[in-house]
Amino acid sequence: MNKRIFSIQRLKIKTKFHLALSAVILCLGLVLGIIGTHIAATELIRENKERGKVLASNLAYRSEEPLLAMDFLRLKNLVDEVQKANPDLRYAFILDPAGRVLVHTFEQGFPVQLLDVYTGQTSVNQFSSMLLLTDQGKIYDFAAPVQIKADQLGTVRIGMHRKRLEEMIKWLSLWIFGLTAGTTILALAVASWFSSRFTNRIKALTDSANEMVKGNLSVYSAPEPKRHCWEINNCQAVSCPAYGDTRRRCWYITGTLCPFYHLNQDEEGDFNCLNCKVYQENAGDEIQELAEAFDYMAMTLDQRIKQTQQAEKELSRQKEVLRTTLDVTPDMVALQDESLVYQAANKAFCSYFQLTEADILGKTDFDIFSEYQADQNYHEDMQILMTGKPLSKEISVSQGDTEIWFHILKVPVYTEGRISGLLLTARDISVIKQYQERLVQSQKMEDLGRLAGGVAHEINTPLGIILGYAQMLLEDVEPDSQMAADIQVIEKQTKICSNIVSDLLGFSRQNQTTKTEVNINESIEEVISLVEHTFGLSRVQILTDFDPNIPDIDGDKDKLKQVWMNLLNNAFDAIQQDGYIRITTKLCAHRRRVAITVTDTGAGIKQEILNKIFDPFFSTKPVGKGTGLGLSVTFGIIKDHGGRINVLSPAPKEYIKEIPNEGRPAGPGTVFLVELPLWYMELPEEECEELGLGGAQS
Amino acid sequence: MKAFFLFRIKILFCIFLAAACLLAACNQDEPTRRVDLSERKQIRTQRELDSLTYACLPQYSHRVSFSRHHQLVEYLAEKTGLPIRQVFPDSFEAHAKMVGEGKIDISFSNPLVYTRIADTYQARAFARIVEKNGSPTFRGQIICRADNKAIQNLRDCRNKRWMAVAPTSAAGYLFALDHFLAHGITKNDFRGITFAPGPGGKQEKVVQAVYLGEADIGSIREGTLDLVRDQVELDAIRVLANTRQYPSWVYAARKELDPDVVERIKQALLELDPNQPAHRRILELAHFQSIIPAEDADFDPIRRLTDEVEVKSVE
Repeated sequence: MNKRIFSIQRLKIKTKFHLALSAVILCLGLVLGIIGTHIAATELIRENKERGKVLASNLAYRSEEPLLAMDFLRLKNLVDEVQKANPDLRYAFILDPAGRVLVHTFEQGFPVQLLDVYTGQTSVNQFSSMLLLTDQGKIYDFAAPVQIKADQLGTVRIGMHRKRLEEMIKWLSLWIFGLTAGTTILALAVASWFSSRFTNRIKALTDSANEMVKGNLSVYSAPEPKRHCWEINNCQAVSCPAYGDTRRRCWYITGTLCPFYHLNQDEEGDFNCLNCKVYQENAGDEIQELAEAFDYMAMTLDQRIKQTQQAEKELSRQKEVLRTTLDVTPDMVALQDESLVYQAANKAFCSYFQLTEADILGKTDFDIFSEYQADQNYHEDMQILMTGKPLSKEISVSQGDTEIWFHILKVPVYTEGRISGLLLTARDISVIKQYQERLVQSQKMEDLGRLAGGVAHEINTPLGIILGYAQMLLEDVEPDSQMAADIQVIEKQTKICSNIVSDLLGFSRQNQTTKTEVNINESIEEVISLVEHTFGLSRVQILTDFDPNIPDIDGDKDKLKQVWMNLLNNAFDAIQQDGYIRITTKLCAHRRRVAITVTDTGAGIKQEILNKIFDPFFSTKPVGKGTGLGLSVTFGIIKDHGGRINVLSPAPKEYIKEIPNEGRPAGPGTVFLVELPLWYMELPEEECEELGLGGAQS
Repeated sequence: MKAFFLFRIKILFCIFLAAACLLAACNQDEPTRRVDLSERKQIRTQRELDSLTYACLPQYSHRVSFSRHHQLVEYLAEKTGLPIRQVFPDSFEAHAKMVGEGKIDISFSNPLVYTRIADTYQARAFARIVEKNGSPTFRGQIICRADNKAIQNLRDCRNKRWMAVAPTSAAGYLFALDHFLAHGITKNDFRGITFAPGPGGKQEKVVQAVYLGEADIGSIREGTLDLVRDQVELDAIRVLANTRQYPSWVYAARKELDPDVVERIKQALLELDPNQPAHRRILELAHFQSIIPAEDADFDPIRRLTDEVEVKSVE
């Protein structure tokens, strides 16, 4: 049984509709046919009886006078006429009050058994009828008394064949069933047409739904209206959202400018749109309303999905931007929720702790760091979460021989007025720290230089007096005497002291600076001509590559020559013997500065002291060989000229490749890079591209 | 839920089919009685030829005649012990002829017909009736439509269509003709004189003819209008004139009838007492008040009237 029900359920609605309608129409047709036939037959019989009664009564009435007059001829004519006028009348006869036959329509004698039909009835003084079964078929016998008031003159009897009646009933039944069958077929055809229309529209809805499931939201189930609202109303409101919309009904569009809008009740309780001729013309039945709602839903859904996709795209883009921003920043950034579980961590954070993002997200400090560190962080973080006060601190971390400084900032994150997490940023401030140390050192050096300058200035005068007196004494004593030799020692040592004092004064920049137009190439060549011979003795060769386009700069020629001299001496000291010194000059881009390089093939400078070579009194030379003020003074002179000096060691290949290989010692070499601004210009922040100093240290 | 719904549909369907089957099962067959039509015999009418016959002049239909006189005939048969049956002649002429032929033993006729049968067939009057108004006489009435403005008095009857009951009708023709003659209007003054057609019911037919406009004026026996009250709207009929009174209807016996029988019948009729309920019932049906003795001489005024009318008509 269930199987049958399920099989019915699997049938198409159209088929079910057909089956149900067919069953109902057939049953109705059958029942109505049976009922109709029954009623018709009953009515026919009743009518027939009534007709028989009327015929008999009429005959009885018409028989009154002939009966009274005993006019048998007239009586006979009467019964014959009646029979002749009624083909289904089998017989008619008239009895007198005693029951004797007066006249009849039978041709060969009177059937005597007809007289006994109503035997048993007290008297036939009222209308009676009976169905007789004869050898000629069934006959309705009607008996009507011929009465004048209460006096009975006789009885009229007529017999009507039932055969004709039965034929009529049969004919009628045939017609009724034929009509019923015809009506049923017509009804089935109409029902089929109707159901096809009905189910086709439902099928259209189903197809649209399937298309929607597949993702196609550009579906249209409802038919396009023949005339649109702007056509019906002759509306010119082109700015109305409904204007030009050929798919949606205007009452589905919000914000229309139509004065009849909207489908809400007005003050009088009437539905505005219901009274609108656009609605009256374009509104359909329930299925059309469903289809319109369906289309509207699909359209709205499509718009919403597109908006969502757009929002998702924008969100994704913003997320990507945020991710990129977080990842490219060298600072470590991490976000923890109020339970101190990591919700986000940038690339720098992951890289520093050598973890992946998956290792961090959803974890706490106890899962990542040591218990001591995690415990320390926990208390620190909880303090911030409870108080809402941000934390800023600097910590140093040792990694091997190097020490790295971090500036850590932890700030509470507020969401809807309450603390919902913690944002951690950690910035590597090691360089800043170095700058700080260098600044302190510079300050100390400046103070020291000022002190040394003061001292030198004070000592310079007595030293001059000592030198003067020593030279005067030397003139007074014998040149070959011990006295002269001693005084010469005094003179020599005084000169050494004077030179030291002079350097000290230069370091403290207390000596006078006289700026003139200086040709850089010429000043360098002048210095080279001074030392070339001396260097050549140690087979140290000086190579030059000067840019002839370099204009004159505003500077102190002597001090600049002192710079070149210091740099050449330092190069020579680094080479000792058998090497090359290459000096280049170059006018940098945009003609804003001049770059001078001094490259040697010497022993180079160790990395750990590279930052200290410009410090005053720092020297790697043995005691008595140098004062440690050469590069410091050089740094000061270059700075006075608005330039800067850097050093690279070992020397990059770009600088070495121009120097011949033969006879060159195995030293890594050093390059000093000097940049000087041109007239009335300031040195740009970025370094000269032609120098190729990317990643160079100074 | 669905199973329940299907179950309900099935139940309804079954009830529907059962009802249809029940209806179908109700055939139209009725109880029958078997009759063999082949068993036949020739029939013969048995007439009671030895009875006395009683006939009323057919001024009204046979039905009315039967209704009025049936009880009286039964009374006479019972009272006299004689077999008496009522016969119904179709016309006044037939009535008179049947009296002459001996087919009517006791004739109840108007005084004009009586004078005919008395003079022609020697019928003898032995009783006459007292009208319901208590008079032993009766009269005729000349009627027209109430809305016929062209007829306001007798003189207006000239050139009009006149329907009378029958040429032998006393009140229905002769009395009226006499009345017209008395007022100087002769037969020739009418556009036409017709008589009620067909057998019996002639008084009613005259009223009907005037009512339907087939005749402009009609002459009837007084009392006829009450008789046709159910058939004609009496307000539409206007009585234009009443004739003189003449002796009322008369019972006569044919010439050969045994005088003893006549006497017994006469006595029985005279004994009808309107104070007795049974007799009053008979008299009321017959539209009499009572019956009084009569003799031939009582109807001489009619004979004179006839003569006068004939003379005047000739003149």
